[in-house]
Amino acid sequence: MDCQSLDVAKDCVNVLQKKFPESKRVGRLEAMLLEAKGSWGEAEKAYSSLLEDNPFDQVVHKRRVALVKAQGNLSGAIDFLNKYLETFMADHDAWRELAEIYISLQMYKQAAFCYEELILSQPTVPLYHLAYADVLYTLGGIENLLTAKKYYSITIDLTGGKNTRALFGNLSVHVSYCTAFKRTKQGRQGQSRLAIFGVSSFGERVQAESF
Amino acid sequence: MGSGGELRYEISQNAYIKLVLHSLKHKTSAVNGVFLGSSCDDVVQIIDSVPLFHNHLGLLPPLEISLIMIEEHYAALGLGIVGYFHANERSDDVELGNVAKNIGDHIYRYFPQAAILLITKKLEALPKGKDRLPVTRLYTRDASKNWKLAGSDGGCRLTTKEPAANVILLDYISSKKWEEVVDFDDHLDDITKDWLNPELFK
Repeated sequence: MDCQSLDVAKDCVNVLQKKFPESKRVGRLEAMLLEAKGSWGEAEKAYSSLLEDNPFDQVVHKRRVALVKAQGNLSGAIDFLNKYLETFMADHDAWRELAEIYISLQMYKQAAFCYEELILSQPTVPLYHLAYADVLYTLGGIENLLTAKKYYSITIDLTGGKNTRALFGNLSVHVSYCTAFKRTKQGRQGQSRLAIFGVSSFGERVQAESF
Repeated sequence: MGSGGELRYEISQNAYIKLVLHSLKHKTSAVNGVFLGSSCDDVVQIIDSVPLFHNHLGLLPPLEISLIMIEEHYAALGLGIVGYFHANERSDDVELGNVAKNIGDHIYRYFPQAAILLITKKLEALPKGKDRLPVTRLYTRDASKNWKLAGSDGGCRLTTKEPAANVILLDYISSKKWEEVVDFDDHLDDITKDWLNPELFK
């Protein structure tokens, strides 16, 4: 189905259907085939009936979200994902998907909430700290900028200074902070030290990688 | 129709092909890029382009950094950012989203003749050879600060500088050239990759 060879997929599903007539997994594949063909209404019915039989089937829930998203109904996808996450709070991929949808709709506060959940459950993954910092920076405002700087610093710490985006992010926060908010000389000096660290480690990395 | 005051956009082959290949490389995500060029009389020449991102287009920090670096590099060549390119996540989505409009507004502040290009048709529908028109829609900003679809009044305002651009594009598509395109996201993940794509058309 991923290669759009729908005839081959149909044949495979028919064979499986004959061999395992009552199987939920085959039912799911049939519904996915309908989705691949673009028969949205029928696919939706198929997924709904599968969910009636087993309301705790995570894969079918997520396929339903994908179905709605493929039709371009992002707010519907958000609703479904939120309902799904009320039940399955530990699904990190779902939180990430929700955060991405929020970012594409420029709903940054909600995206920040999603990344907060991810950081709480997996605090050692630098990706989430980085994404959270990016979202905070995009939101803007002095407190968000300072918090973003902290999260960029955590990312640099977790990645041993190797993450280019975090180093850049740190510098951006410093520049935005100094240009937009005139603070005391002491405050500026504190910020500068971190920025200088960022610049020097970035410079080292560029040199190291070009040889 | 087509009076002297109407602005025309002429895009070079390399700029056009680079961005279309970039959108083909990341078929399942939205992608964006900027155009570099200059304006002369009422023709805006788009000379080069830089593909930007394929992930999280709505985030500010990578965008700020990329625009600063691009402006600095191309200022030395006498070119500035003259437009923005966007391709939506779903190939049948031809609406200009808010992210694209906001970035377009930002570019407009520095270059009032800025345009947004939105890729529209599925590339299988690309006509063979004779068409000079790119597979994109041109949006320009009107007096009421809205991005309006250009060409709806009959004039054709965007053309490729070299007439065979679509033919060469088809050729590159069949040889899967899109795999070699490097965008800013790739550069930020691995700084040895060059977002200028100097080897792409050699």
